Amino acid sequence: MSGSERAAALPQWTRAAATWRDALLVTWAVARRDRFALAGLIIYAVLLAVALAAPALAPYNPLDLNYRPDGDVAANEAPSLSHWLGTTNLGRDVFSQVLFGTRVALVVGFVAAFGVVVLGTLVGLVAGYYSGWVDTILMRLADVAFGIPFLPMAIVLVAFLGPSIWNTVLVMTLLLWRDTGRVIRAQVLSLRTRSYVEAARVLGASHVRTMFVHIAPNVLPLSFLYGSLAVGWAILTEASISFLGFGDPNVISWGFMLQDAYNSQAMARHAFYWFVPPGLCIMLAVMAGFFIGRGYEELLFPRLRRR
Amino acid sequence: MPLLEIENLTVQYHTLHGAVQAVRGVTLSIERGRALGLVGESGCGKTTLARALINVLARNAAITGGAVRFDGVDLLQLSGGALNDYRWRRIGLVPQAAMDSLDPVYRVGDQLVETMRLRGGLTPAQARERAARLFALVGLEPTRLRLYPHELSGGMKQRVVIAMALALQPKLVIADEPVTALDVIVQHQVLRTMRELQETLSLSLLLITHDISVVADLCDDVAVMYAGRIVETGSVREVFAAPQHPYTMGLRNAFPSLRASSARLVPIEGYPPDLASPPNGCAFAPRCPFAVQRCWGDDPVLMPTGGGRLAACHRAMEADVLRIQAPQAFARLEATGSQAVEGGAPGGGIP
Amino acid sequence: MPTRFSFLASRLSQTVLVLWVVATLLFLIFRLMPGNPLVAYIDPNFTAEVQQALLRQFGLDQPLHVQYAVFLSNLVRGEFGRSFFSREPVSQVMWQVLPNTLVLTLSALLLAYAVGVVGGALLAARRGTWAEAWGIPAVLATRAAPEFWVGMLALAVFSFTLNWFPSSGATSPGSAYSTWWAQVASWDFLRHLTLPALTLALYLQGLPTLLMRSTMLEVMDEDFITFCRMRGLPERTILLRHAARNALLPVVTAFALGIGYSIGGNVIIETVFSWPGLGRTLVRAVAAKDYPVAQAAFFLIAVVMIVMNFVADLLYSLLDPRVSHERQ
Repeated sequence: MSGSERAAALPQWTRAAATWRDALLVTWAVARRDRFALAGLIIYAVLLAVALAAPALAPYNPLDLNYRPDGDVAANEAPSLSHWLGTTNLGRDVFSQVLFGTRVALVVGFVAAFGVVVLGTLVGLVAGYYSGWVDTILMRLADVAFGIPFLPMAIVLVAFLGPSIWNTVLVMTLLLWRDTGRVIRAQVLSLRTRSYVEAARVLGASHVRTMFVHIAPNVLPLSFLYGSLAVGWAILTEASISFLGFGDPNVISWGFMLQDAYNSQAMARHAFYWFVPPGLCIMLAVMAGFFIGRGYEELLFPRLRRR
Repeated sequence: MPLLEIENLTVQYHTLHGAVQAVRGVTLSIERGRALGLVGESGCGKTTLARALINVLARNAAITGGAVRFDGVDLLQLSGGALNDYRWRRIGLVPQAAMDSLDPVYRVGDQLVETMRLRGGLTPAQARERAARLFALVGLEPTRLRLYPHELSGGMKQRVVIAMALALQPKLVIADEPVTALDVIVQHQVLRTMRELQETLSLSLLLITHDISVVADLCDDVAVMYAGRIVETGSVREVFAAPQHPYTMGLRNAFPSLRASSARLVPIEGYPPDLASPPNGCAFAPRCPFAVQRCWGDDPVLMPTGGGRLAACHRAMEADVLRIQAPQAFARLEATGSQAVEGGAPGGGIP
Repeated sequence: MPTRFSFLASRLSQTVLVLWVVATLLFLIFRLMPGNPLVAYIDPNFTAEVQQALLRQFGLDQPLHVQYAVFLSNLVRGEFGRSFFSREPVSQVMWQVLPNTLVLTLSALLLAYAVGVVGGALLAARRGTWAEAWGIPAVLATRAAPEFWVGMLALAVFSFTLNWFPSSGATSPGSAYSTWWAQVASWDFLRHLTLPALTLALYLQGLPTLLMRSTMLEVMDEDFITFCRMRGLPERTILLRHAARNALLPVVTAFALGIGYSIGGNVIIETVFSWPGLGRTLVRAVAAKDYPVAQAAFFLIAVVMIVMNFVADLLYSLLDPRVSHERQ
């Protein structure tokens, strides 16, 4: 690299770093403008705190069977001071299970969303940047991914790979990158012809460098938008897969709790204390993702806001 | 009594940068059976003025003062329903975006019939018959009533919209840049048609355009608008023969058809002021080659200058002299750049 | 016009391509299932003769590429083998459950879109009011709530507490009907259908509501709506006849897409309400490793979905005069 080239490259790196940092700061800007987005962030913050402190907060081990003073299993107990949300049909503490479920939801939600966004952004970047046959192949792949019925495919794959939360995450990543991929590609197509990108190429920047230093920072806000929505979908999907009985049997998730309640006829026994809380938690977590995504969208596409 | 009297009308837009006065106290009247041309650069408030007359403004705009009297009735004092009765039945409007003004999913004939049935109380049969006659009137074959908007050319769509405007036999038709989107030959045909209709139906016409040659061709009277104000009015013949406002003089220099073909075209240097913070003095002063000390501090009002004409210029009495100096003065201004200190980027102006 | 024709031709070829890729995926997945690769078709408990017959029928004694060809031709002919459990031909099982799924999906979708279109139009018309400020989060909540949980709540309240509706199945045990149509038209069937259809509709209405609202808002900014205002047309006419009619185009397209997507998503609702449909059949077959049934159910769901994607494109070009009239 010649001296002048290095001098020209330096501000670009700085600019790129600044853009990456800005993309994170945008989240705060969104929260300041939109009270629903703020509510979403607060929900996530609370869930995160609960997930981290679950062992300290939970009064019981979520898998332990509890006993009454007379030695019987404390099964199907209504909420009381010792069991705030009652117990399951096996005598497990519902409240402790709800607390521990937060961990699975957040891990699955964020890891899957991260996978979806990284894969989608990569595909979109490469397809949009190289165009031609690379683009054709990648976009036909996206068509195929859109054509596959998501939940049935997830069930078949998880059943095939074996029930574990990591397989659930993997399946979601493999199937859900398509939306992000398409949107990012469209954005890259329009960015590719911008003068500063062309200038970078003329100055001798490599393809990889051009893609990641000059183009990627500009599509990052869109990736964030799709990421925040993907968190919700991932949590919902994990719960659905667990509910259908293909979840990780060794992990207490909200979906697992609901399956447990469903299979043991909790509805017929009016055990609302058992199956209402985990569902509410899923709903709140997913809504938080929607709210943040909506706030993002309005910031990115202010046309919507004016309406 | 004139058919339409606009008095001191002001319209404000609420934008992210604060309130913008797009129409700043316009006073204007339209006589019965005459065609008035309203000219000015784009952005001077012509369209806002037109839409304010029947109060169909953009969501972020509002009328903040003044009166619009139609046949003596102040439309701005009317309730929503009563005002709606004036729309189209007495005042028709050919909007600026006439090309996009037809609903894409209905046949053009059905849209015409809908208007006549819902607003004119015609039976379906009457409405269809009248639609065919209206089409013939604007020079379209009645068979085209059965087509969808996208199946018509731009000129034809324009004629459909004109037919729409005439559907309920209004006394006044406002035409906002009715031909801007059309090519030159079609422009001419459509404008001819409009003028003929105006004469045969003895309509009053308010024709809004940035092209003063159109006004010179088609109108009886003219009003020149600048930065949300009327700066000069009078009959077309008198105003264009002997403009009294420097802006009108400049406009005349900038258009080929009004001058000998050998004369050089001179655009007016500079840009109109930002109406979010209008200047204290005359809004044209920064671009005016004749501006004097007084023009910068004291905003001239529209004053009678004799012969039924009005002009808003401190030096209107010297107009005869200024007019002779105008070509050279504007040319000099163009050569040296605008005298405006701020916002006077070179190379601007009209057309 | 060539543009329209080539558009549909390219979409059709895309549809066929996707179908082929899904079929191939299916072939590979079930071939790779744990255990004996033949397990996808042959229950180890079948008698030796039946096993031999099936081996030949599915070409499992042939090399892989021949198996693949046989697999594809079987798919095309709807030949999926026999269930490991009921021993019935899989195609027969499919014919029993597919109509139930279609009835549930279509009734829920129609309801959801009727509610969604009206609700979305109202939300658009009430722009900037409290109805919009709280309506949208409320709609988002219906999309965020897990369907199976809403179903459980519905069961707990309306079935187990109030006893208004039965809790599972499509008909009461012991009931028999001369034809399938007689069953669908029966009061008993309707009572069974109500809760699952309402639960599904509650979830599905979110998309049309939000879509209708946003396209309405877009349309209401168009010049032709302003022109309607200028003409002094009644607000109701403008909103319904002009804005809503134009906003409907993408919503109708979404309806066709919705048939595909919700048949895929029905696995949950059908499981919660034990509705004897395609989705529940898939879930049970996968759980029980009844591979022939699982394979067929999955393929059928995929076919419905892919075909509906294509129908959506077709519908759009038919509904929008700007597209359809290019034919002339």
